[in-house]
Amino acid sequence: MQKFEPYPLEEQAPFEGALMGDIKAGFPSPAEDVREKLDLTELLVRHRASTFFFRVDGVSMVDAGMDEGDILIVDRAVDPYNGCKAVCFIDGEYTVKQVEIGPQGVRLLPANGTNAKYKPIVVRPEDEFLVWGVVTYIIKKV
Amino acid sequence: MFALADCNNFFASCERVFRPELNGKPVIVLSNNDGCAVARSNEAKALGIKMGDPFFKIKGLVERNGVAVFSGNFPLYGDMSRRVQAVLREAAPSVEVYSIDEAFLDLRGMDVDFDRFAKDLSARCRKLTAIPVSVGVAPTKTLAKIASKLCKQYPKLQGGCYMHREEDIEKVLRKFPVADVWGIGRRSVKKLETMGVKTAWDYRNLHPSAVRALFALPGWRTWQELRGIPCIEFEDIVEGKQSICVSRSFAHEITTLPELREQVANFAESAVSKLRQQHSLCLEMAVFAYTNRFKTDAPQTFGSALMSFPDGTADHRAFVTAAMQATAETFREGYAYKKAGVVITKLVAAADQTPSLFADTAAEARDERLSTALDNLNAAYGRGIVRFGVQGDGKVLSAREHQSPHYTTRWDDLPKVKV
Repeated sequence: MQKFEPYPLEEQAPFEGALMGDIKAGFPSPAEDVREKLDLTELLVRHRASTFFFRVDGVSMVDAGMDEGDILIVDRAVDPYNGCKAVCFIDGEYTVKQVEIGPQGVRLLPANGTNAKYKPIVVRPEDEFLVWGVVTYIIKKV
Repeated sequence: MFALADCNNFFASCERVFRPELNGKPVIVLSNNDGCAVARSNEAKALGIKMGDPFFKIKGLVERNGVAVFSGNFPLYGDMSRRVQAVLREAAPSVEVYSIDEAFLDLRGMDVDFDRFAKDLSARCRKLTAIPVSVGVAPTKTLAKIASKLCKQYPKLQGGCYMHREEDIEKVLRKFPVADVWGIGRRSVKKLETMGVKTAWDYRNLHPSAVRALFALPGWRTWQELRGIPCIEFEDIVEGKQSICVSRSFAHEITTLPELREQVANFAESAVSKLRQQHSLCLEMAVFAYTNRFKTDAPQTFGSALMSFPDGTADHRAFVTAAMQATAETFREGYAYKKAGVVITKLVAAADQTPSLFADTAAEARDERLSTALDNLNAAYGRGIVRFGVQGDGKVLSAREHQSPHYTTRWDDLPKVKV
């Protein structure tokens, strides 16, 4: 059960294939046998089964590079660790914070130094709390 | 050994993935058109909501108890199902996907602690996909199915149950209703009732010749499977379907031919796309349409028309043309149609079909290129991006008032997270 096999990607090639077939080249391309390409999904999604995307709404994590409207890549296969940034569920709401796991328990730390509005959230034993998934990448438009 | 992995209350569980606040609260999912309850969380079951209960009948109960109601969100369920399947595939070399929420695993030749295996697999599905899954392991597929049901009854099994000792099997089968055994149909249950057969154990103790005489081959297989003799094949390669049906009931009733044509054209397109995906041709197509049976004061009709394609076809244009002709034959003025559909039958593999002696092969090749181009465009840019004029806007008239966002399948619907 250690090995993870991603589920088959729906082959997105038919269109490309159709176009390629119509190209009448004067001589065979030497590149034909060594087709290599970069796939962003391969880089950003380690585990297909457990990776989900979320949209950022708010500014409490701007110092951690998370701006309004960014897409977070969240992988449930990653175990939460001290200092991870994660989608957490606390008191009926989702939030993304840096998770501090220490001897005194768990605190959710914002990352917005200039705004005093955001304070660390101390997770009390009676709180309904779960780490939904760990953020592994941020996609942002420049 | 075989395992059955069954997602608990699957559609309701999918709705909870992005709404953790619904854990522990009653949730139901409605069928197409918000007709009736097709999935219920345990809390909703406890309120007495039954499978198939019409929504209007339980509305009061739903409101009083704060039941969360969802219209079916099939893109979400399909995506979550593929995720669970991926987790299962990594656990066993071969997996037979039995339905959207159930899969068999072939564990023959594996040398592991099967009880641990079942519990670990359930926990892993939960961790990676957030979907609760019950895993039953037993010497036959039929017994594995029973074992997975036990996981749902007894939470202390932690989602996994290995049922193999003779005495355990007996204990379980003695309490297990024969009607709930996989492969025992409703008609058999009636027969069995008259014979005093109530539990799976009673069935197992029938005389083998009586089973063969009364229930033919399927019943005989079930009988052996309950005795721990595997005889239902493991099918990890799914064969193409033998028939395809695309039908919907409409959000409001349809009284004119052009409106009905538009709906049926969309069904036909959807059916032919499925047919092409499995590389089959069909020899026969039927269109049907009927009125609302529950409106007893309105005039009732059930119409259908059959079209045949002697040489077999999977051509988009031929299909829609035939469907339109059949629709015209089906439609009658003065009736309010509530539901319609397209059924295609007599499917053959495209590769097996011998071409007709009189076929115009050049024209067929050209038509096939056109159909393939249509498939490719729709695959690349979204279903219905290129469509026939008669399909209208390409949307089916159906009510989905309570649908959740397509969280995992549309960029605009990604779950928002407060940061």
